[in-house]
Amino acid sequence: MPRLERSEWYDFARDTNWTPRYVDEQEIFPPEMSDPYGIPVSEWETFDEPYKVSYREYVRIQREKDAGAYSVRTALAHSDYYEEADPAYLSALKMHYGSISLSEYAACHADERMVRFGRAPSMRNMATFGMLDEMRHGQIHLWFAHALAKKDRQFDWAHQAHHTQNWAVVAGRHALDDVMMTRDAPTTSLMLNFAFETGLTNVQMIGLSRDAANMDDYTFSNLITSIQSDEARHAQIGTPVIQIMIRNGKKAEAQQAVDIAFWRIWRVFAILVGISMDYQIPLAKRDRSFKEYMREFVMTQYERQLTDVGLDRPWYWDIFLDDIENHHHCQQGGIWSWRPTVWWNPSGAVGPAEREWLEEKYPGWNDTYGKYYWDTIIQNIVEGHPEKTLATGMPMLCNMCQIPISNRPGEPWKARAYQVDYQDRRYSFCTSVCEWIFKVDPERYKHHHSIVDRMYSGEIDPPTMENVLLYMGSGVVSEGGKDAYDYAWADPYRAARSAAE
Amino acid sequence: MANEFPILSRMQYDGHIRVVDVAPDFTMDQVAAACAAYSVGTHLPPPEPGKPLRIRPTTDDDNAAPFPADMTVADAELQKFDCVDIYIESDTA
Repeated sequence: MPRLERSEWYDFARDTNWTPRYVDEQEIFPPEMSDPYGIPVSEWETFDEPYKVSYREYVRIQREKDAGAYSVRTALAHSDYYEEADPAYLSALKMHYGSISLSEYAACHADERMVRFGRAPSMRNMATFGMLDEMRHGQIHLWFAHALAKKDRQFDWAHQAHHTQNWAVVAGRHALDDVMMTRDAPTTSLMLNFAFETGLTNVQMIGLSRDAANMDDYTFSNLITSIQSDEARHAQIGTPVIQIMIRNGKKAEAQQAVDIAFWRIWRVFAILVGISMDYQIPLAKRDRSFKEYMREFVMTQYERQLTDVGLDRPWYWDIFLDDIENHHHCQQGGIWSWRPTVWWNPSGAVGPAEREWLEEKYPGWNDTYGKYYWDTIIQNIVEGHPEKTLATGMPMLCNMCQIPISNRPGEPWKARAYQVDYQDRRYSFCTSVCEWIFKVDPERYKHHHSIVDRMYSGEIDPPTMENVLLYMGSGVVSEGGKDAYDYAWADPYRAARSAAE
Repeated sequence: MANEFPILSRMQYDGHIRVVDVAPDFTMDQVAAACAAYSVGTHLPPPEPGKPLRIRPTTDDDNAAPFPADMTVADAELQKFDCVDIYIESDTA
């Protein structure tokens, strides 16, 4: 048993540092990995995390969490829940597991970099716990998903996804490589801990957890809640970094890093969470709309957190607000139309009641997404031609976020490619924000080829849709996506048409 | 065809920018038809009869003059990944 209370020894132990005598400090902490900002070590040593935990406490608490999460899963493992679950809800799980499982493991590496190269001993200490957290998150996601893989091959993407060239995975991997895999230690903290974890993960974890509980999926709901309790701790690593940087005249650098990361993660996040909440969760079980969650957890909380640490709202805030109204609706229409390219079964989920709900939550939805996408799709289904609902050709992919360049259909004319010619190559972007990120450091991004680029470079040869699907793993890891309900959501339209005739 | 290359199709009312392969000897009417084939009938309803589709280069203000319908891709000097608007002549774009 410890003889001292944690508060009696914590600061002393945490702040223990050393001055090397046998090697140069810059050999141990090269600036490109440890601090490109030139901040004195004495300043880094003022790093003070709000949430303190000892290793003894960490092991005890995490063991209790794991015991809780794994026991719930074990208790429910013999139920028929997943055999009888709503197919669109299962698709939301497949999206989540495929996107997140190895992303969590990758985040472990990001925290490892902070452990090894952080100049503040307390930052290294907190990042050690963060590293263990993310290792846990990777393992627990894979463990839970593995049990489902034998029931449905699409759950195998939980482990396989990050090893494929699927377009959605390329989008996620490009964002995470940019934000957390290839940055120095303090910039990783700004981008991962503050912008990503503090800014956006609450929406995902709290919102999805509630929706899962509404679906009576306590295994998944408990998993997500358990993970978010870790997140709430290690996300705080970023705040002291920002404070130290601002105090040392590096506010502009901190602002730029946070703004780049927030947008990068937002673009993939809206697909993963927005589509799940507004289209995959059955209407009767939806807790709130994606926009309502964003309003509470991001537009209000994140904006306040930025102010509290001394940063400003991103310059693109108005563009972001507009994106909340549109981006995930565009991607829902696109992903459903190009559904063989994904590893889950998207649901059209735009029956009359759903459209009424969408119109209430997103005024104007029916005059835009309804009229210019879904009405034609519904007509094809009702007339007995579901094959006409499969999109042909390729959407143009943004050379930054790797997501189809799209915006609200109808009037006014919003979809637009923002283009930059750099060193004899043309780059196309979905928004002025992705364009701006490229222009901040074009040398960093210029080498990457989107799936579309690969079709015309010879890497995907021949560039037929069949070959593109194989290249992306569809039909390899599992079958590609089909409509989750086999178009049953369109039955009310068939009935209405029959009644009219 | 070996000399085809991709341009970007920005079709009026469509929410997606699409990749369309064109050949240098395509007329603008043929380009419009190639672009429309991906959007119309899948996402967009067909335009009303008697309302031709026109092509213009995409600009910031959406007000460039249309290419003549019989102009070829080569004469218009379209390059790989150039973006063009396809719009219904009588509709305000």
